[in-house]
Amino acid sequence: MSGKEFSVYMAGVGGQGLVLLSNVIGSACASAGIRAITGEQHGLSQRSGSINVHMRISEDVRSPLIPIGSADAILALDALEALRYVEYLRPGGVVVMNSRIQHPIIETNEHTKDKAARYMSAGDVKARLSEVTDKVAVIDALELGKKAGNPLTENIVMLGALATLEDFPVPEEALRNSISENVPKKAVEVNLRAFELGKQFAFDTLCNIVKCRK
Amino acid sequence: MGTADVLKEGPGKAFMLCNEAIVRGALEADVKLVSAYPGSPTTEILDTFSEVSPKFDLKMEIASNEKVALETCAGAAMVGLRSISSMKSVGMNVASDSFFSLSYTGVKGGMVIVMADDPQAHSSQTEQDGRPFGPNAYIPMLEPSDPEEAKRMVKMAFDLSEKYSVPILMRTTTRVSHQSGIVTLDRMERKPFVKLSWTHPPGRYVTVAESARQFKLALLERSKRIEEEFNKSELNQVTDTGSEMGIITSGAGYNYAVDATKLLGINPSILKLGTTYPLPKRLIGEFLKKLKTVIIVEELSPYLELHVTAIAKDANPAVKIFGKWTGHFSEALEYNPNIVADGIGKIVGKTPPVDYEKTLERATELKKGLAERWPTFCPGCPHRATLYALRQATKGTKHILSTDIGCYSMSFLDPINYGDSLLSMGACLGVAAGMQYGAQEKVVAMIGDSTFFHAGLPGLVNAIHHNDDFTLVILDNEVTAMTGQQPHATRDYNAGGKPAKPLVIEDVIKGMGLTDITIVDPYQVKQAIPAMKDALSRKGPNVIISRRACALYSDRNKRKRGETIQTNKVDKEVCKKPYTCIRGFHCPAISVDDEDRKAFITKGLCDRCDVCAKLCPFGSIRLREGD
Repeated sequence: MSGKEFSVYMAGVGGQGLVLLSNVIGSACASAGIRAITGEQHGLSQRSGSINVHMRISEDVRSPLIPIGSADAILALDALEALRYVEYLRPGGVVVMNSRIQHPIIETNEHTKDKAARYMSAGDVKARLSEVTDKVAVIDALELGKKAGNPLTENIVMLGALATLEDFPVPEEALRNSISENVPKKAVEVNLRAFELGKQFAFDTLCNIVKCRK
Repeated sequence: MGTADVLKEGPGKAFMLCNEAIVRGALEADVKLVSAYPGSPTTEILDTFSEVSPKFDLKMEIASNEKVALETCAGAAMVGLRSISSMKSVGMNVASDSFFSLSYTGVKGGMVIVMADDPQAHSSQTEQDGRPFGPNAYIPMLEPSDPEEAKRMVKMAFDLSEKYSVPILMRTTTRVSHQSGIVTLDRMERKPFVKLSWTHPPGRYVTVAESARQFKLALLERSKRIEEEFNKSELNQVTDTGSEMGIITSGAGYNYAVDATKLLGINPSILKLGTTYPLPKRLIGEFLKKLKTVIIVEELSPYLELHVTAIAKDANPAVKIFGKWTGHFSEALEYNPNIVADGIGKIVGKTPPVDYEKTLERATELKKGLAERWPTFCPGCPHRATLYALRQATKGTKHILSTDIGCYSMSFLDPINYGDSLLSMGACLGVAAGMQYGAQEKVVAMIGDSTFFHAGLPGLVNAIHHNDDFTLVILDNEVTAMTGQQPHATRDYNAGGKPAKPLVIEDVIKGMGLTDITIVDPYQVKQAIPAMKDALSRKGPNVIISRRACALYSDRNKRKRGETIQTNKVDKEVCKKPYTCIRGFHCPAISVDDEDRKAFITKGLCDRCDVCAKLCPFGSIRLREGD
């Protein structure tokens, strides 16, 4: 592309608040005068199915879908979903993934038939992703969400981590304002805390492997 | 995002989903009546209208099906009101009977129909290309590429509709409808709602025989005039780079084509068609005259390719046309930047910067052993329990399950693997009627409450009248669950929460003369199984109603009432690993602990339907307290 683009492939499981997350980023872009487009997945999987949002922050891209092999980052609210869409990551791109896994029912079904069956773990996923990038950060977003005051803020914890990346073009102030505008009024405080905890965690881990904002 | 931006005072900018931008555009155009039936990828149009409707002076109905919705809009537009309906591709099949006639009669008030196709069949039974509806019915068709354009186009559509007294079809696809982007908000100037008087002469909107013939001649003239306008319309955009190579495209295809040319580093001229019926033939001809090569980028059928080929015959017979017929693009599945870059690359002899095939191969290698996560029933979903009970009740009875459109459609997916046929809304009944004539097995039909009211009623009338031998299972979960829990005919409210008259399913069926009705609660699975077994053993037609609210809907209501959602846990001292809570039930909240191999319930997922507890022979599953 001619202009500079930051694209993030966001993935998770239905019910984790992925669409809210993309709206928070998109609204922040709108208020900061930055152009952003998304390709979203709605319908069919109300809960428990794999879902994804393509987010492209750029002045001149048109396709709402990120081309294969070109996402600057994958943000996964469930570790398995980071691996499921690995083809979108550009070589050396960043993966920010939640350590939490909701085990797919197909995998659980195998456990009832085979005593030796083991679930794929966040460690397994990280090891596999390491073959395409050395920039994988694993976050226990559920734990941080709980610490913020509500386990449902996992998505915002993840955003906090993403926002520390030097290449992420959306100003932090705009993100904070957008969080305040897009989450229910009584949940603003807890979400802002979640954002802060995600950021702090990233400074301690992610920023050892990727360039971060000061 | 969301309704806040739809309501925002203009002028301004907002980040909006295309479906929200369409609503904003219609509101800015002072739309007065909305009627629709939910269907992905258009549902957010209905939902957004429903949410904001109490704040505007407009009438809205969540209709029982798309045909009724279209007719409601037509009636209002005949009187002179501006109206809008939205429907998914296959919803247009249902509405099309009146759609064709409406082109003949025309309308007075502006009328817009948004129809969204679903390439890739993300949430549809087919990849149906709805574009032929435009030319087939002689109804003008517009195609936006993004939210900003969709909003602008819907406003223009109302004006066009009134100018030519014809409804306008606005066609989108999933990747346009479910695209968010920055949208320009204009001032919202709304006039008060007033009832108009019917000033038309008798027969004005009657189309049959002689009047139909007159209407037909008139509409051909109308199409000519509209085509002339479209030849000069800003809805069609030419980017002339002076290149001998050009691309003709529209809708989502345009987005991919533009990005693909950048990926390949080429600079062809581009004709972006915003009006895909009537096609601006003169404009297309002029575009072709300057070219040696033209590439057609469009998803699904070669609709543009067919017409461009025909237009080139006179305009520029020497131009080389590349598309689906030359094997560079497929008629199957949705496109993306890679597919389009690969296709164009092969034509122009360039390779994209990323080797997509190799990247995908490598990814497949890395993903070995990663379990699929198909969409499935939510924790607490009553369908999971109903399907479990139905399987138990039919144990040892060879049977065929004729199923229908709704969340329960997902039963055919791994690991549940249940269900034998699925065609379209309401089809389970007609199909079951045919099966019971032909098959030795017991026939069971399965339909959801919303689908039953949408298109199931005629099938049931038929089955009762002909004394067809099958059992119909109606899954009554109180709402149109799959599309986001919209209210339907059994609710006491409708769009925007306004009061509505609730219908009772069993009363409707009794009114049809069928009295063999068994009502079960799927959460009471142990009682439901024998009751269902009993009903299934009787000669049909008979009905089982499995009644329990959609878990998401129920949770939402619980939260509104300030109730907490309880969860279960497994007492590991008691669990003897029979896996009866997993096998045949498959709740995402239940997994197996890798350490001790015992069942484990995830707190944040469990909805405490308590069905798994009832299935456990050792009583190891109970209410989680404290932790």
